[in-house]
Amino acid sequence: METILNNLNLIVFVGLVALGYVAGSSAERRHYSSIIRREREQLKFQVMNAEAYFSEGRVGRAFLVSGSAVISIDYFKRLLGILRSIVGGRVKAYESLVDRARREAILRMKEQAMGKGAHMVVNLRLETATIGNAANQKGRLGSVEVIAYGTAITLNLS
Amino acid sequence: MKYTPKELSENVNVSGGHPLVELAWLAGGLAAIIAVIWLGLFLVAELVIPRVPIDVEIWAGNRLLSQQAHRDNPSVTRVLRHLLAVLPGDSPLRRYNFSVTVAENDTVNALALPGGRIVVFLGLLKQVRSENEMAMVLGHELGHFAHRDHLRGLGRGLGVALAVAMIFGRDSAAASCATNLVHGLEMRYSQRQERNADVFGLDLLVAGYGHAGGATGIFSRLAGESGGKAAYVLASHPHPEDRISALKKMIAEKGYRIGAGQCSPGKVN
Repeated sequence: METILNNLNLIVFVGLVALGYVAGSSAERRHYSSIIRREREQLKFQVMNAEAYFSEGRVGRAFLVSGSAVISIDYFKRLLGILRSIVGGRVKAYESLVDRARREAILRMKEQAMGKGAHMVVNLRLETATIGNAANQKGRLGSVEVIAYGTAITLNLS
Repeated sequence: MKYTPKELSENVNVSGGHPLVELAWLAGGLAAIIAVIWLGLFLVAELVIPRVPIDVEIWAGNRLLSQQAHRDNPSVTRVLRHLLAVLPGDSPLRRYNFSVTVAENDTVNALALPGGRIVVFLGLLKQVRSENEMAMVLGHELGHFAHRDHLRGLGRGLGVALAVAMIFGRDSAAASCATNLVHGLEMRYSQRQERNADVFGLDLLVAGYGHAGGATGIFSRLAGESGGKAAYVLASHPHPEDRISALKKMIAEKGYRIGAGQCSPGKVN
């Protein structure tokens, strides 16, 4: 009993890491399967990051669409990140976070565009930000935000 | 131009590999680095500490501890004087100017501080029933001085604390992990030191009082209060029962006589 109390710090820490690993990886698995399913559904909807030129009268409406996603790191990934930051190298633990945020943001933007009846999105842009004011401070969990925005257009199909 | 949507089957943006494998590599590597640092400090301490002149130690001890309140306890000091009187003439311990301080604290422990100062906590003093038991406690601490354990622990502790702070930053979760790991290593070593100090204390007790009575008394009282042996795997001291059996074995091997302890209750408190 005394041993447990003496090492309470360590036990809490290990518990948080285990919780972070179990919860974090199950959330990631579910998110990825949702992303893949929705990407497949929206496969036919065109998105491009090129500035597009259309012939006169071809475009009906043009409007801004945007989608953003915020993904938080978990305690396990944070530990991996801290350890990695000592020796350097690719922070593999964070790569999937940014990837998920990016794809989720684009998916949401596409959903918005499709909901408004657009035929395609041109001029797609992505921006990222770390949020949680103290993202890089000690003891705080940071999150990454990705916002995707572009010009949705409807085409006069005649 | 015809637009042909294509599904991407692979994701180049996320590296493969299981995260637990990565954790094992990173954590294992760092643990190895810390173990190497500890081992290095350990070796340096083993080489340097026995060569630190006692004068230097006394000087440093006085510098470090001059502000500490000194509370003398005449009866404990008398036991200490008695033990010091029976030290062999060529013992390096003779060059120390020992003093005993009683600290108002319920901790059941005693400390050997650099420069020849012994601190006995009130919690331990309350457990002592006879002069011989007090002599065993003091003899044990003198053993630490004789083996210079008090300097070893100090040197390694400081070195590791510095190394951990430099690698991980002052108080991060990783630092506490590393400190715990080092603490484990330290404690295993510390238990060996305690056993050796027990041996020294027992010999001194017999030299001073002619018999080994009271050598195990304090430990048997502690054994009643302390928990199971599992709790002692990472403790700084061995389990009291282990210490008792080691002492009894030694008493039998060396053929020491066990006489009655000189009971003088109230005297030490």
